[in-house]
Formats: sequence, C-alpha cells, structure tokens
Amino acid sequence: MKKLMILCSAALIAAALSGCGSKNEGEYAGQELHIYNWGEYTGENLISDFEDLTGCNVVMDNFDSNEQMYIRVANGDSYDILVPSDYMIERLLQEDLLQPLDKEKLDCLEKLDPDVLGLPYDPENEYSIPYFWGTVGIVYDKNKVDLADLEAEGFGIFADEKYKGDIYLYDSERDSFMMALKYLGYSMNTNDENELNEAYEWLVNIVETMEPEIVTDEIIDNMAQGRKALGLIYSGDATYVMSENPDMGFYLPEAGTNIWSDAMVIPKNAENPELAHEFINFVSDYDGALDNSVTVGYTSPNLEVMEYLSGEDGDFYGIDAYIPRAGNENDEVFTYDPDTRVIISDLWSRVKIAASNAD
Amino acid sequence: MKRFSQLAIPYIVWGILLIVLPMVLIAFYSVTEDGNGIISFTFTLKHYIRFFTDPDFLLVLWRSIKIAVKTTLICIALGYPIAYFIAFSSDRIRNILILAITLPTWINTLVRTYAWIGLLSEGGVIQQVLNIFGLGHEELLYTEGAVLIGMVYNFIPFMILQINTSLSKMDKSLMEASNDLGANGLQTFLRVILPLSLPGVVSGISLVFLPAVSSFSIPKLLGGGQFFLIGNVIENQFITVGEWNFGSSISLIMAMIMMATMYVVRRLEDYSRGGDKERE
Repeated sequence: MKKLMILCSAALIAAALSGCGSKNEGEYAGQELHIYNWGEYTGENLISDFEDLTGCNVVMDNFDSNEQMYIRVANGDSYDILVPSDYMIERLLQEDLLQPLDKEKLDCLEKLDPDVLGLPYDPENEYSIPYFWGTVGIVYDKNKVDLADLEAEGFGIFADEKYKGDIYLYDSERDSFMMALKYLGYSMNTNDENELNEAYEWLVNIVETMEPEIVTDEIIDNMAQGRKALGLIYSGDATYVMSENPDMGFYLPEAGTNIWSDAMVIPKNAENPELAHEFINFVSDYDGALDNSVTVGYTSPNLEVMEYLSGEDGDFYGIDAYIPRAGNENDEVFTYDPDTRVIISDLWSRVKIAASNAD
Repeated sequence: MKRFSQLAIPYIVWGILLIVLPMVLIAFYSVTEDGNGIISFTFTLKHYIRFFTDPDFLLVLWRSIKIAVKTTLICIALGYPIAYFIAFSSDRIRNILILAITLPTWINTLVRTYAWIGLLSEGGVIQQVLNIFGLGHEELLYTEGAVLIGMVYNFIPFMILQINTSLSKMDKSLMEASNDLGANGLQTFLRVILPLSLPGVVSGISLVFLPAVSSFSIPKLLGGGQFFLIGNVIENQFITVGEWNFGSSISLIMAMIMMATMYVVRRLEDYSRGGDKERE
C-alpha cells in the first residue's frame, strides 16, 4: 500500500500540472476536489478523465501510511476524499471525523463485490466505499523455495534456518504482528498481552537469527528481480511481482491472514461533499475501476472488472494473488483498538531495535 | 538607531512562534503524562527514566553517536585535502570547484539518497564494477557501510566549505614568511596552515556531527528497517507509536547531547584561536 515517497511528489506535481490544464466545462466547472490518497494508487488517466467529465480541478496529496494521513486529518486539514484502510476508517469513525454517505447520490453499490461490502468496520457501508482490497501473503521464488515447506510451516517459514539471509519482512507493525499471531494460532485482533508478547518474542527470534531485511515497497522491485527467496507482501504488490517475474509465487497460509481493504470516505470537514460523491461513483464505475486496477495491480472491488482482469483476456490471467481468498474461516479483518495499537507499535519498534542491535 | 531596531519586532514575534514555542511544547510534552490536555496535566519524569533504564535504547543511542563520529572523521579526512586544493587553486578554478561542491545540495537530500539506493543495490553500478575484480558478492545496500556513504555524501559539502573559507581567508604572506625562515613544505603546513585552518575544521565538525547524529531518513533508506538510529526511534514514537510524550523526551535528550557537543566544539574553537594569539 505504501509507495516510494519520490513518486508521490512526482504524482503530486503531475496532479497539480494536470489540474492547470483542465477545461472549464461541465457541471462542476471551477470547483476543486481535494483528495488525500496513497502514493501511486490511482489509474493513469483517472484524474484527468474525471476532470474532463466534471470540469473540476482535482488536487491530490499523497500519504504513505494511515498514521501520517490521520495526523493531518485529525489536526483539521480539509479534504473531500480520503482513502484510508479498514482499521483506520474504524478509528476515524470512533473519533467522529467522517460524514455519512448520501446513498441517493451513489449508484455504485450493486457493482461491487459483496465480499468486500459490509465489512466489520462499516457493516452497512454508511460511510465508506471500497477502493482496493486484498490479502497479505508470502511471495516466494519457486526455484528456491519448496512449496511443501510453505504448506508445512505457513508463516513459520520466516523462522526456518534453511532460508536464513534470504528473506524480507515488511516494515509495518500491523502486518508483522498479524503474521506472528496467525502463526501462533491466535486472532490478529487479540488484546491479550501474553499472546502479544509471545508474538513479539517470535519476531525478535526471527530478526536475531534469520538476518532478514526489513523493507517497505523496496520488496516489490527486489522480488520482481528475484533477489531473495521469501517475503511478506500485499497481494496487490504480489500481482505486480508475478506479472513481471513468472518464477514468483504467492502463498496464503492456511492458518489465516489479513483481508484488508482501503476505502473512500468523506470527512466531516469536507468542502465539496457533492463532488466527492461524484468521484466515488466515477472510481467505482467500470472504466474508472479498470484504469485503477490495471495501473496499480491491486484488486478492484468492482466485480466485473475483477472478473475481466483475472479472466482469459485480462492483464492478470493466471495470477492467483489478484483474487483475494474467500472462505477460509481463519482470515480476519483488522479492527481498531487504541490500547492494543500502542502496544503493538511499541513492540514493533523494539523488534526493529533488536534487529539493529543484533549485528 | 532605536527606530530601526523596532523593525526587528516582526522577526522576533515570528521567531518566537516558529522556534521558541515548538521547543517549549516539546519540553512540556516530555515531562507530562500521556494523553494530557493543556489545561489539566500531571508532571512526570517517567519518560526520561524509561529511556535511561532501557539498555536497548541506550545501545541505539551509542550506535548513533558512533556512526556520527565516524561520519565526521571521514568528512575531515576526505574534506580537508579537497578544501586545501580548492583554496590554493586560481580564482577561476576555485569558483568552478565551489560550484561543483554546492551544486548537489540544490537537490533535495531524499532524492539524492534515493539515487544511492540504485547505485548500491544488488546488480547496481557499483556492484557491477566490483564484479569485474571478483569482489561483487558482498551485499552493499542495507549495511552500515551504505549508511556511512550516504551520510558522508550528504554532509561533506559543509565540511569542505567551512575549511575552504578559513583557508582562503588566510594571509598567504604567512606561508612565504614561513618559507623564508627556512621551514619546508611539511613544516609550513603543520605549524602555519593547519593551526590557522582549525576554526574551519571545528565549525565543519558541528555542521556535520549534529545532523549526522539525528539523521533518520538516510539510515531508513540505506540501512533498511533493521537499521535503527536514535532519529528513527524518535520518528517512530511520533508517527507510528503515537507516544508524543516519550518521543519529546528523547528529542530533548538529543538536544542536550547536541548542546553539550556544541559546547565542546566552541571550547575547541576558542582553544584553536587562542593558539593563534600566542604565536602572534
């Protein structure tokens, strides 16, 4: 979900420039839409097409973590559209920062995959419309890793000495603890301190004995070039890796994983909610959703787009990472619990300190 | 004069708002309990106690200081000869060289550090060159060496420019005098040029050491997530953990360490200047 910061700034400049060129026609001529989204998370022509259609100017800022976005929004910066992840939407809702969507103005709900609607953070989709979704799994080099090991060990393969020095971990406390808790057979939403500590010990053991590299989006290019055998990765990034390098596979442990989604929400202090609804419809519609998914490689919540792209004529035919797993009862969606969040963040920073003090 | 001094008032107000007030807030956060409002708060020293009683944090601090010292020493070792060469070139060449040194600093640090990722990564240019000599097996990126390269690369212009300034300002006739009095090149350098250039070296040290010890973007990019320096710990406390109080107290501890360093550096500077006076 995170993308390189430079590219964000490039996208920002591009967005600003394309904003200047838009024509003053259409229903919303002269109006501005302020979007706060992940870097490298929009289709090639999505913004310019939307500007042509409505005549508005889109101003897009990029963030590279939910927390970074939260700080700005909580401090009162005004945006019309945000694209946070599931647990962060829950947090924004708990802190009363979002406004309910006007279902009258939305024509997109029936186009979306029922699997990604009505998730626990917003059971009736009163506040959010999914933007992308997916899972977190293991990307592996089929030539170096025995599938039998993956099947036997699940996430435990990251502690298998056979692959010492040949693994990437993802620098995110939620995903790392998800992996550890799932491996240990607990819920990833646990708030039991003993379970969390056990997960912490498991992670410390890995960073002290396995010489992992803890990276973020570098994993995408590095795995596409086959530099290491194993890595923890978002399914959408795995889709890209696998389409670049056919030697790469994607594995979801039976013990369960995180089903995540990033969704569009309208904050309370939005200046142009009307136009924001337009944008939500536009993104969820076939053309917008196709552009997004083809460019970014993440799974579209638009059912038709997902079926087309994973079908025989689609860009992601044969890439299993593109279609999120359904039906494994161990899979979970993240929920937001402020106290546990602080504990996990603190423990993860201590894992990283242990990693740096290990060498 | 009095009328003119009033013109400074807007700047003072500005300075208080943008420099003093944030510092006061950080100091305030560092000695209060988490989750306090501005109106109701409880003082506590627990954040400081937590930092100083935790061997992990102290180890990170120690590693940060070590790497900053290494960076500073390499910057002096490489920067001094370069500054020397620049200072004693003809005017035209000197201007070109100074431009060449400052030019990269016009580009944002992050962007230049990203460039190093490409150079150092597996299969990157540097490894390909090393491969020719059969040395390409070592991993370059995400090591302490990579972080050192990034820091030296980013901070060395400050060292060179400082030393160059003090060398250029030096009265060249002192060197002639030294020669006339029978000193050879080495003696002239050790007893005349080096002492006169020390103030430049000293201010170069503070310009390199201080940003190096608190840097967080360079270790993050070139050292990877498993290379945590104290700057990363602070960033992490603010951005992901959300414990602003603890983050503030570490920031303040760092500020103290920097102030202590500045003090030592100033004393060194006085000492090197004092040495000049004795000779005069």
